[in-house]
Amino acid sequence: MLEFCLHVLIMSAIFGIAAVSLNLQAGTGGLLNFGQIALFGIGAYAVAILTRAGLPWPAALPAGMAAAALGGFAIGRLGRDLAAEYWALATLAVAELVRLVALNEDWLTGGPQGIGGIVGLFPGLDGVARALATLALAALLLLGTALMARRLGQTQFGRVLRLMRENPDLATALGHDIVACKVKVLAIGGAMAGLAGGLYTLYLAFIGPDQLLPFETFLIWTMVVLGGLGNVAGAVVGAMLVTTLYAGIPFLKDAVALPSDLTGSLRVFAIGSIVLAVLMLKPQGLVPERLRRLHAQRP
Amino acid sequence: MARMNGMTRRSAGGALLGAVALAMLGGGAALAQDTVTLGAVLPLSGASATIGEDQRRGIELAVEKVNADGGVLGRKLAVAVEDSGGRAQSAIDAARKLVSVSKTPVVIGEYSSGNTIPVGQYLQREGIVHINPGSSSPVIKTIGDRSFSTIGLDDVAGKFTAQAVYGMGHRKAVFLAPNNAYGQGVYSETKAAFEALGGQVVANLLYTEGQSNYRRELQRIAAAKPDVIIYSGYGQEAATINREAFELGLSKTPWFGIYLSMCTADSRPETVEGQMGMEVNYVGPDGAWYRDAYKKKFGKEFATTFSGYTYDAVMMAAAAINKAGSAEPAKIREALAALGDYAGATGPIAFDAQGQRKTQPYIVVSYKGGELKTAAK
Repeated sequence: MLEFCLHVLIMSAIFGIAAVSLNLQAGTGGLLNFGQIALFGIGAYAVAILTRAGLPWPAALPAGMAAAALGGFAIGRLGRDLAAEYWALATLAVAELVRLVALNEDWLTGGPQGIGGIVGLFPGLDGVARALATLALAALLLLGTALMARRLGQTQFGRVLRLMRENPDLATALGHDIVACKVKVLAIGGAMAGLAGGLYTLYLAFIGPDQLLPFETFLIWTMVVLGGLGNVAGAVVGAMLVTTLYAGIPFLKDAVALPSDLTGSLRVFAIGSIVLAVLMLKPQGLVPERLRRLHAQRP
Repeated sequence: MARMNGMTRRSAGGALLGAVALAMLGGGAALAQDTVTLGAVLPLSGASATIGEDQRRGIELAVEKVNADGGVLGRKLAVAVEDSGGRAQSAIDAARKLVSVSKTPVVIGEYSSGNTIPVGQYLQREGIVHINPGSSSPVIKTIGDRSFSTIGLDDVAGKFTAQAVYGMGHRKAVFLAPNNAYGQGVYSETKAAFEALGGQVVANLLYTEGQSNYRRELQRIAAAKPDVIIYSGYGQEAATINREAFELGLSKTPWFGIYLSMCTADSRPETVEGQMGMEVNYVGPDGAWYRDAYKKKFGKEFATTFSGYTYDAVMMAAAAINKAGSAEPAKIREALAALGDYAGATGPIAFDAQGQRKTQPYIVVSYKGGELKTAAK
């Protein structure tokens, strides 16, 4: 049981990083990135390919982040003239492109079989000790990512991002270069998502194209929206909640001793209704964004 | 007032998390001492849910049979079944739950090769015995010494398909299959065998799964004017393909389905009428009793051909545990590898040096009037 709880915490931390990244892009910058899993996937595959080539993970992980940052940069440049909604659709298409490349370029990515048998994190350790070491690393990296995202939100850059979210025309009128902001935030977000993807691959010792389906992007979106769009802590809380739900729902079935033929339907039903309940009770998410009050709004 | 409201809502969110956490703790304690519990990861929801449910039925029948015959090691046998949702991440989570919470020495699963491979690799790493009852990708051979298959892999299946299609007089084939671990595997094996016989594969259409329509692929097939369309697809997807092929008039060309029951499980009968195909046999030559047992228990004919393989997986695991006199994974592995010829519901099963099923009695079937019939040889 302990090992499974550690597993859930490790996955929460990994997806926490991915959610913080998306929150920076979507929550703070208002960029509807429906291709988040592509950035995650670029990091994941880069780390898999490099470790397979014999690179140790401490070197492969930063390389994966760099590759994903480059991917973010490209997505930002790609649709620089597109309006927000059109750009959102373009990101979805880019994510599918990345998945199709992973699916078809067998020589590099192993094709549909994926890349397995990766030497993961802390190969010298075993069982609980290994899980604890992995959790410590993942939690530390999550903390670093979250602090950095929060700090960014408080700088002038963060304020411009929020202005871009609320009123891009006004931001342009005030002399801010919207495209540059967009590209910058996507590159930073890309590096973070790549870090999450790299950790994911190292931890599971496997990455395949099925893990890059659009569904996974929307899972990360669910985390950010449930947690509270625009709040770094919200993204972390959302990632924990969704990961725990996905891993925990099968235990509900054990506890109430339902027949196993209901397992599948119960899981879908439970997750759907819990997500719906949270959104109805707290439309702003569990930890809503807190904006600094303006003088004019004081009573 | 507003604050009060906020508090209640926050505690509602907390209560939800608490309930899940409590259930997680409770789940761990639910295991009894007088039971040997094996694990299974199956696609009970998602695109392959029909097959996953049939796989689960095979397990249910096997557990009843083992327990009626005195159980294992004088204890009762149970199989904890987890849903993979047809998704790799959930399949791995489920396997982890079985291994670290339920402490199962054997895990049976999954169905799609893309999920079976990572699950098998994880189990191999943890030293747990893995039995594959439904995937056929040749990569499964390479998982390791803890991994076994009760179903024949694609190299065996591809050869059979090529011979059957060639034997019907078809020379010019197109190939239509999902672009995934399974589809690529079965395609390369079938093509190699078909061309070795002197046939020709004029077009290879490995399609992206989950499309809302497959007209682009089907129109390319029509343009190639083949003698035969060799195809394979998972339940719901194959249903879409079959419906559109029917609408386009393509169903007049002979279709040959690889694992035909998988291709027709969710299709409307009129769209697949007259299709031929290869099948793993539902039951082996001496397996009529299994068909009867299934019918008696679930009140209908087999939904797919896949229930027998999970049945055999459970039976073989139970036999290995009894033979080893222990429910330790390492000992079960030894006993499974040394089990020799086993008379399974799906025919005789013997493992090769890599733990894979050596021979697989395939059959040629045709779809007539809403059901599959064994075609005359």
